[in-house]
Amino acid sequence: MTLRALSGLAALNLAYAFVGLALLWGFGALRTWNAVARLVGLAYLVGLAAFGVLWTTLLVAGVPFDGIAIVVSLVALAVVGAAVARFRGMTIRRGPRHGPATWTVLVAAAGIALAGLFLESLFRSARIQSLQAYDAWAFWVPKGKAIYFFHGLDEHVFTTTPNSMYPPLQPIVDATAFHAMGGPDAATLHVQFWFLIVGAVGAVVGLLHRHVPAWLLWPPVLLVLVVPRFSVLMLAPLADVLVDLLVVVAALLVALWLRDAAGWRLAAAAVLLAGAVNTKREGIVFAACVLAAAFVASRLRSWRPLALTSLAVALAVVPWRIWTARHEISSGAPTSFGTDRLGGALRLSFDVLYSNARWSVLPVVATIALGAAAVWGDRRLASYVGVLGLLLFAGGVWSTVGFPELTISADESGNPIVRYTGSLIFLAAVVTPLLLASVWRGGEEP
Amino acid sequence: MGRLVVLFCVAVTLAALAWLYPPAFREANRQARANARLDIIDRELGGGNSVLPAQAIAIEARGRIPENGTFAVAVGPPQPGWSSLTIPPTVENYMRYFLLPRKLYPDAPWILCFACDRGAYPGAQTVWEDSPHQLAILRRPP
Repeated sequence: MTLRALSGLAALNLAYAFVGLALLWGFGALRTWNAVARLVGLAYLVGLAAFGVLWTTLLVAGVPFDGIAIVVSLVALAVVGAAVARFRGMTIRRGPRHGPATWTVLVAAAGIALAGLFLESLFRSARIQSLQAYDAWAFWVPKGKAIYFFHGLDEHVFTTTPNSMYPPLQPIVDATAFHAMGGPDAATLHVQFWFLIVGAVGAVVGLLHRHVPAWLLWPPVLLVLVVPRFSVLMLAPLADVLVDLLVVVAALLVALWLRDAAGWRLAAAAVLLAGAVNTKREGIVFAACVLAAAFVASRLRSWRPLALTSLAVALAVVPWRIWTARHEISSGAPTSFGTDRLGGALRLSFDVLYSNARWSVLPVVATIALGAAAVWGDRRLASYVGVLGLLLFAGGVWSTVGFPELTISADESGNPIVRYTGSLIFLAAVVTPLLLASVWRGGEEP
Repeated sequence: MGRLVVLFCVAVTLAALAWLYPPAFREANRQARANARLDIIDRELGGGNSVLPAQAIAIEARGRIPENGTFAVAVGPPQPGWSSLTIPPTVENYMRYFLLPRKLYPDAPWILCFACDRGAYPGAQTVWEDSPHQLAILRRPP
């Protein structure tokens, strides 16, 4: 770890945020400077996802990946966003200057202080952490190193490492971080994942800030950071956390779109979901669940933009599918649909989801909040979250049933159900404030 | 009634947060201190410390095999002192990660031998050896 490596990583992650801001401007999300400040966390995730999707396509097309190409692609994405904004006549005005009530500021300040304190301790851990996670050194980081050293999808490495069907967005992020750090430093790479967590917290807080009072917003957001299964384990350079964060922030955008039908929310969600489907196989399942739940919960006249979003996400899958087909790599889809494992898989998914030792009270509180919102709150939001939760849960059951080689056990070396369920827990943490706020207001929108 | 449910949910979440935040904060700090205590080789090898019988074979291989070179991994029967992770697929995966940009090929000139049958590589010279751990780096003649 050197100051140069950390400075390079910081500059790269700032660049992701700037690219995302330009894209959000083009989508029409940034009408005021208040919105710019509020949505910078979301912009960071959108910028990173757009960069990853672009480079997945470019690498499949054989474009060499190096420092200059990285800078050019970041600049090109930002220019496209800004050009669309200028073309659409978007301007950023000074927003209204009314501040929130004093006690709201105090609650928010306490939340920011507690989150900041914990994230600072994670940073000190991340900057000098050795690479321990098996999957990280068995295939995720080697693929990132291969892109860094060989400037592309090296056929030998990408076809001989385990799980060769996994898409390359995470290795692209790793390889870009290596360029920014000045070398393939697997210890400092953990800081890239720290930036992801900071960006995601910023995205969730920024998106919910105007929809949820601070006293409902901060407790679940802080709790999800410190539950035993996450905490320092979130820093492992695996794709699980990235895919969860992209999907859950996209799901939150869709939830808010169901309320205000703001088109920029769907556009940003499409970018995040396109990123998710290029991050892990289950990203496709997650994205399908989010979009299916949105179709169920939305009115018929809203189906057209949803269909366009679905099409954009589906198209994002194509380049990597072309590469895997060209190299005769199996898609890794479930191979068995027998019902003999269904009972055990259901019990396992349920036990893992409601495991107090892993996730504390988050799933229980989210379930109560969902029920309360269905009775006293925003019923459309409740139906969206309920359908999404059920579909994600069913996806986990399906994975255990469909892969007979997986043990029906929560042991992570034999079944990834615990990692899979992480997406449901992140979802629980970000939708609980929204559900509870709708109950508090008696179903009226803010 | 709805508002009572909201207050209940917030109270439960705050109680859980008050219960979990201090140990999570302590654990993150403990982890940071543990990471700071690692020497540079331990930090560089990371998970390899649980896979390799001795750190030296990874460091020696990185020093001896040229960056554009290729290597093979040959793992023999488990030896006393080896961990349960010192098995062919795990050692191959780890060495592939650690030695990149050097590539892993079965017929490569460099062989990382973990108590392997050296007779399977006739003419190969031993360029480095750690006898107590039954480790060696072999080089096949060009």
